[in-house]
Amino acid sequence: MNIVLITLGFAFALAFVIGLILGIFKKLFEVPVDPRVVAVRDALPGANCGACGYPGCDAYANAVAAGQAPVDKCAPGGKAVAENVANLMGVSASAEDVVAVLLCQGVKDKAPQKGEYVGVKTCRAAKISTGGTKLCQWGCMGFGDCTLVCMFDALHMGDDGLPHVDYDKCTGCGMCAAECPQLLFQMAPKARVGSVVTCSNRNVIKANVMKSCKVGCIKCEACVRACPEKCISMVNGIPVTDYSKCTSCGICVEKCPTKCYHLLETIEGKPVVVRKSGVDAAPAEV
Amino acid sequence: MNLVKIFLQAAIVDNAILMRFLALCAFIGMSNDVSKSIGMGGAVTFVTVLASAVTWPLYHYVLANPKLMAISPIFDLSFLQILVFILVIAALVQLVEFFLKKNVPSLYAAMGIYLPLITTNCAILAVTFDNITKKYNLAESLVYSVGASVGFTLSLVLLAGIRDRMKTANLPAFIKGTPSLFVATSLLAVAFMGFSGLIK
Repeated sequence: MNIVLITLGFAFALAFVIGLILGIFKKLFEVPVDPRVVAVRDALPGANCGACGYPGCDAYANAVAAGQAPVDKCAPGGKAVAENVANLMGVSASAEDVVAVLLCQGVKDKAPQKGEYVGVKTCRAAKISTGGTKLCQWGCMGFGDCTLVCMFDALHMGDDGLPHVDYDKCTGCGMCAAECPQLLFQMAPKARVGSVVTCSNRNVIKANVMKSCKVGCIKCEACVRACPEKCISMVNGIPVTDYSKCTSCGICVEKCPTKCYHLLETIEGKPVVVRKSGVDAAPAEV
Repeated sequence: MNLVKIFLQAAIVDNAILMRFLALCAFIGMSNDVSKSIGMGGAVTFVTVLASAVTWPLYHYVLANPKLMAISPIFDLSFLQILVFILVIAALVQLVEFFLKKNVPSLYAAMGIYLPLITTNCAILAVTFDNITKKYNLAESLVYSVGASVGFTLSLVLLAGIRDRMKTANLPAFIKGTPSLFVATSLLAVAFMGFSGLIK
């Protein structure tokens, strides 16, 4: 009984003394923290994904409060967070919510390998050592480097050898776009209005493109001619859509002979929103 | 000579990680990068020496003071050793963290992230207990704690180097990651067993 009492007494006394000392020293050594750091940190999502270029949300909040970082760097938070942070810092933000789109549809049976690749099974290693494992040197090699860097579980390798984006989860942080050695991910508006060419083959010789991939862009420029809004232009051998003009009419999709033009709405087989010009969104059947 | 012996004993022969299997969590967690492991080792060294310097007098003058014990056996509080050491070391680390944050921000930025990780890390606790059970005096226990943490740093840096090589190794999926690290650790431990007769 005595031992229990001694232990209790001693533990209480020790805890009291330590608590007192720690409390005093905390006040004594208190570092004044910029209240804006705390406020900005609270406004951030706290995913610590690193898309902003800082080691985590804390570091980014510090940089923002110190005026060293722009307020709209948080991609997962998107527009809402950028506006909140901008309000806290008293500046204006211009951020648009985006999602990642894979610009390649060279599935296993459509885009052949140029040989059997034996080596480190990462896209980056394969790109450095062989310049791409497929006949199409721009195509997705399918080792899934992008799926490893996705912090939001939004990228998964499909059985067809390509990564698939889960648009319920994609926050548009852009980590996959930064990781892909083929630069195959493009950040598209989250509203997903507009058309996109899901091919990155820059080869201008039609025969070569057709040999390396059955669904590659053959540079016929039918889309450029057909677009009623004149919003498609050829950039480095690939048609590029100007989203400020595109109305998602779908004419380019119909005209494309190799079926590599798609509307952003229908990518991944999930039409989220069908938009007619002027009429606002109505959810469509999947 | 005695101090050199104690140092080598702590660093190599009784290596905290490879021979006594302490602090494996920090060992696996912090060894993915050589520079990180050196930082961790520095922080562990600092806290271990500090903990030894505080717990040794605490034990010999408060918990088991021979003069008080001569008066009445009720003053023999050595059974409270674990409780008191854990509390005191944890509070000490907190205190050091406050101090560094205010007065030496550069050191805090380099070491601060490791400090909460090693608050009463089991290797540190083991060193403070050893100082008591091996009946060292204060100087000896300080040397022992420096030696033990140098041994900790040594094995951390060794594993970090091995992990660099293992990154590109073609391992079967079931052993990838932590399992392969434990295999590498046990092979390292076998190598360290060769030192076991070094100090008489």
